[in-house]
Amino acid sequence: MPLHITSSDAILLAHAAFGVTGCMAALWVFVEVLNVRPANMRRIQAAALVAAVCMAAAWICGGYWYLHFYPAEKALILKGPWPFAHNFFMETKEHLFFITAILAFLLPVATREKLASNSAARKLVLSLAGLIAITGLAVEGAGAVIGHGVKVALLHQASKGSR
Amino acid sequence: MNSTLPSTTPKLTAATSGFVLAAAITVLFNTALACAKDAYAPLKHVMKSISGHDWTTQGLVDLLLFVGLGFIFMNITVAERIDPNRLIGVLIGAVGIAGLGLALWYALF
Repeated sequence: MPLHITSSDAILLAHAAFGVTGCMAALWVFVEVLNVRPANMRRIQAAALVAAVCMAAAWICGGYWYLHFYPAEKALILKGPWPFAHNFFMETKEHLFFITAILAFLLPVATREKLASNSAARKLVLSLAGLIAITGLAVEGAGAVIGHGVKVALLHQASKGSR
Repeated sequence: MNSTLPSTTPKLTAATSGFVLAAAITVLFNTALACAKDAYAPLKHVMKSISGHDWTTQGLVDLLLFVGLGFIFMNITVAERIDPNRLIGVLIGAVGIAGLGLALWYALF
C-alpha cells in the first residue's frame, strides 16, 4: 500500500516529536540533578541544551503548521461537536507553549551553575526541569484533544452524509 | 540566632538570577498580552500587521523581552541581590499564575 504523507502530516508529527523529546530531556536533567556530582555535569548541560533546542524546533514546526495548515482544521472543529477543542484547548495551548519555551531556554543558563556545591542552583534547576515537563506534557495533551476534535468533526460529517 | 552572621544561602550568578527574573516577568507578560489582545481588537490588529499573525508577534515580543530583560538584569545585578529561594518562589508562582490565568481566561471568555 503506497504511503501518502503530506508536508502537513510530517511537520505536525515533527512538532509533537520535538515537544516530547524536549520534555524527556527536561526529565533527564531532573533525574541527573537529583544525583548530581562533578562527573555528570557535562551530561546535565548537554540534556539542558537538548531540551532548549527541541523546544525551539517544536516552536518553529508548530508555528509553521499553525499558520499554514491549522485554519482548515479549525473550521472543521468549530462546525463539529467539540468546538471547545479549539476555543479552550488550542487557545490555551498556543499561549502556554511560550511559557514552556522560555523556561526551556533558561535551563541551559541555569545548568552552568556549580550544581554539586550550590543547593540553591540545584533547587532552581529541579524546579525549572519539573515546570518544563509539567507544562510541556499539558501542551502535548491539549494537542491530542485538538486532534480528537478534528476526528469527531469528520466522523460527525461522515455520519450526516451517510444518512 | 545571631543576626550578624553572614547568610549561608548559596548565591546564583548574575546571569542566572537575571534571566530567572526576566523569565518570571516574561511569562506573566505573555498571559497579560494574550488576554489584552483578545479583549481589545485594535491591539490584535496591530500585532497582526507587524508579522502577519498576532501569535507570531506575541512569540517574538516574548523572546525579545526575555533576552532583553535578562541582559539588563544581569548587567545591573538587580536580581543577584534577591535571595535565591525567593527568586525560585517568584518563578514558580509566576508560572502557576500565568498558566492558570490562561486556562481561566479561555474557559470563561
